[in-house]
Amino acid sequence: MQILKVENISKIYGNKKSSRQYLALKNISFEIKEGEFIGVMGASGSGKTTLLNILGSIDKPTTGRYLMDGKDIATLNKNQLAEHRINNIGFIFQDYNLIETMTLKENIILPLALKGYKANVMEDELYRIAQDLSLVEVLEKYPYEVSGGQLQRAAACRALITKPKVILADEPTGNLDSKSGKDLLDLLTFINKEFKATILMVTHDVFAASYCQKIMFIRDGEIYNELFAGNSKKKFFDSIIEVMSVLGGEGK
Amino acid sequence: MKITTLAIRNIKQNFKKYIMYFFSLSFSVFTAYSFLALMQNELVIMAFTSDVRYKSMLMGFGIIIMVFVMFFLISSNNSFIKARKKEISIYALFGMTNGKIGKLLFLETIIVGFAALVIGIGVGIFFSKLLAMILLDISLASFTGNITFSIDPKAIYITAILFISIFSVMGLSGLRVINKFELVDLFKADKVSEGKSAGSSILLLLSLLLMGTGYYLASSGESHVVVYALIPVLILVIVGTYLFFRSGLPKVLNLIKRNKSNYYKSVNLIATSSFAHRMKSIGSVMATITVLSAVATTAIATGFTLYKNIEKNTYDTIGYDMYFYGGQEELLDKMYNIFENHHTEITEEYTTDRYQATPELKTVKLGDTEFISSEAYFRVYSESGYNKLISLSKSTLKPVRINHGEAMYEYPYLTEDIENKMIGQLLTFSDQKISITSTLRSGIVSFGAIQTLVLNEDDFAALLKNGDILATNKSGEAYDKVTVLNYENPLQSAELNRELTQILSGNVGSYRIAYSHYNESLETYGLVVFIGFFMSSVFMLMTASLLYFKQLMVAEEERHQYRMLRKIGMDSQLEQRVIAKRLFPVFVIPLLLGIIHSMFAMKAADTIVFSNMIPVENSYFTVLAFSAVMYTAYGIVYGIFYFITKRQYAKIVR
Repeated sequence: MQILKVENISKIYGNKKSSRQYLALKNISFEIKEGEFIGVMGASGSGKTTLLNILGSIDKPTTGRYLMDGKDIATLNKNQLAEHRINNIGFIFQDYNLIETMTLKENIILPLALKGYKANVMEDELYRIAQDLSLVEVLEKYPYEVSGGQLQRAAACRALITKPKVILADEPTGNLDSKSGKDLLDLLTFINKEFKATILMVTHDVFAASYCQKIMFIRDGEIYNELFAGNSKKKFFDSIIEVMSVLGGEGK
Repeated sequence: MKITTLAIRNIKQNFKKYIMYFFSLSFSVFTAYSFLALMQNELVIMAFTSDVRYKSMLMGFGIIIMVFVMFFLISSNNSFIKARKKEISIYALFGMTNGKIGKLLFLETIIVGFAALVIGIGVGIFFSKLLAMILLDISLASFTGNITFSIDPKAIYITAILFISIFSVMGLSGLRVINKFELVDLFKADKVSEGKSAGSSILLLLSLLLMGTGYYLASSGESHVVVYALIPVLILVIVGTYLFFRSGLPKVLNLIKRNKSNYYKSVNLIATSSFAHRMKSIGSVMATITVLSAVATTAIATGFTLYKNIEKNTYDTIGYDMYFYGGQEELLDKMYNIFENHHTEITEEYTTDRYQATPELKTVKLGDTEFISSEAYFRVYSESGYNKLISLSKSTLKPVRINHGEAMYEYPYLTEDIENKMIGQLLTFSDQKISITSTLRSGIVSFGAIQTLVLNEDDFAALLKNGDILATNKSGEAYDKVTVLNYENPLQSAELNRELTQILSGNVGSYRIAYSHYNESLETYGLVVFIGFFMSSVFMLMTASLLYFKQLMVAEEERHQYRMLRKIGMDSQLEQRVIAKRLFPVFVIPLLLGIIHSMFAMKAADTIVFSNMIPVENSYFTVLAFSAVMYTAYGIVYGIFYFITKRQYAKIVR
């Protein structure tokens, strides 16, 4: 089932009349189906983050339509957008973005608290997920007391707890060592399989990208190529490297 | 780029943050200049500084203000520097030495400070006449209002030197703050924990106990207890306050956190956790501000209450516009002349005998000292004689009814202790015994005697007939009669009163004029009120802006949190509510606790001072009513600062 549809999205930065305008995205169109795990790759400045921000409704496209469940997100006002973000979108950031004045538990239930849930409902939801993500022992700790991997799991937990339609992950492995990075990718795969979560992940990392089912490559604000995972992970990995080297990107 | 250019550019770019800084700097300068100019004003010098008491009061006040201004400026400067931590770290990252950064900030301080100096002195000059007029108007009974506008070079000169040295100290202290920055903080600043304080229930209880004991001692109705306990009460309450903010409040927050169904509401969750997180760094500031607000509100409430009760107090002490005894024959005509020359009508005049009696009674002891010896004499009135005087007096006393065989005892410094000892005392006259059944705290009918008795009409007549009550001394000479007078505008004309004093002094047994008493009280209390007002407004504005700066610094550090919260779906209304809830306790807790402290301080002041001054059943309520006016003013100023802070905070985190 199609969950998200992007039609001819463009994003122009700078004053429209001045010559200093900068085209970050050019006429991008694609669809995401429920349960997909999609990667977005591209060089720095190719427009990945702009795209993610637009999908996360943090930023607005200059032209084009962006539909989620058939509803045009661009028509929503500021407060409706905030509500849309709580209900439909889960974010996982590179630098975790947990609030250091709150315990992990408080951080994780924050989106539910924003939705106005009752305390006992929130705790039920929390333990359901925290067990799967093996966070139960550190729930009462503060962010500066736990490891990077635990932080990233807590961030994932926070993104998941509202059962969002789409999870947007911005370089989630960027700050982790390879072991924690692999753990997180396994976790995302697990979330994708177990909770049927739709995930869109922006990454530089070819290894991370090889966990996805489909990869979109972006160059100069346009979709340059798409790759689908086959049966062999090795083969998929190699073909990603191939596209990346053609792109002149940062393939390892 | 030259460092001066950079400094000017920084000021331009940080203009919005600098505005409040600039405002408080200018206000400090204004305060200092106004005060110094007042001290130099000729009329003020004439009115006050001739008297050593007033001079030392003004000087002491000046020193307190300056010390506080310095404390305030240095600590707000340091907060301001911390709020610019990122910017400063970037300079350091690009290889600027700490010395050079210090020089840059010092230059900024001097440029802004110089502008503040000019504006502050300018505003000070503009308002100097007004301030001097206010001071003289509230302190002098007959101030005509002729003050010439003047610019005072000496005050300008001293203010400038004072502030340039304060700016230098600020520069040095800023340098110390910069030296404490670690470059690495630039990269992890947001992740460093400031150190939450878990708090402790024992210390919470202890802090409440300390403050409670202080309150208990302060509200003891016995004035000697209150006087002796003054210093211990101060220590108890101040220590309790600091303990409360450092360990008690964190514990309270922890307890709030335990109530999950309430704490997990979105606004509460964000605001409480972030406030709790800052407790350690802001606790001492809040405690200091609480103590300062308590001092300021108490000072102003005391002054205001005293001031508002001067007229009443005058008549409660003296009773009439004027009275004298002795010398009526020669004086009365001269006096009528004076009144006529001043076109002032005498509204009431009454002359009566001063009767005395020396009944036998048991020796009354207070502690070890003899309060009434057996030979003591009393001024004696019949019921009607007393009621006549009371009806003429401008005090709030009511006429009385005395039963046969009973008497009312009057003493100006009556305490509960004396009252208990006097009631039931048997007064033994030559063939009659009369018992004291009621007492009254007043001295307006004693006219030279220490204690007064009011008797039943028939008893009085019988005793007078018997020779127990006398209007003559042992050798048969009549005692001086007393004359009481009321006249028009008794508290306005200095000239009339001066002339009256002239003919009375030395020519009568004794005299009191309400005007003199009123004028003297006004000078003392007027000055106290003025100092209270001045000091309170300085404390009020500075403590409030200190909180403002601290919160701006916090906003700067919490910016990324709000960005993140918006990403996960916090809408702008919710954000406003979070910020409101986040900042509200910072302003309201010190304010409320300060006011509670002050209310108990007023209770103590009531026991020591006001209960003697305000002769109503429960003078504390009267005192509180006057104090409430000042508490409200304080609340309004804090409210305004709260809203300014909220708006600025919202702007920063946006």
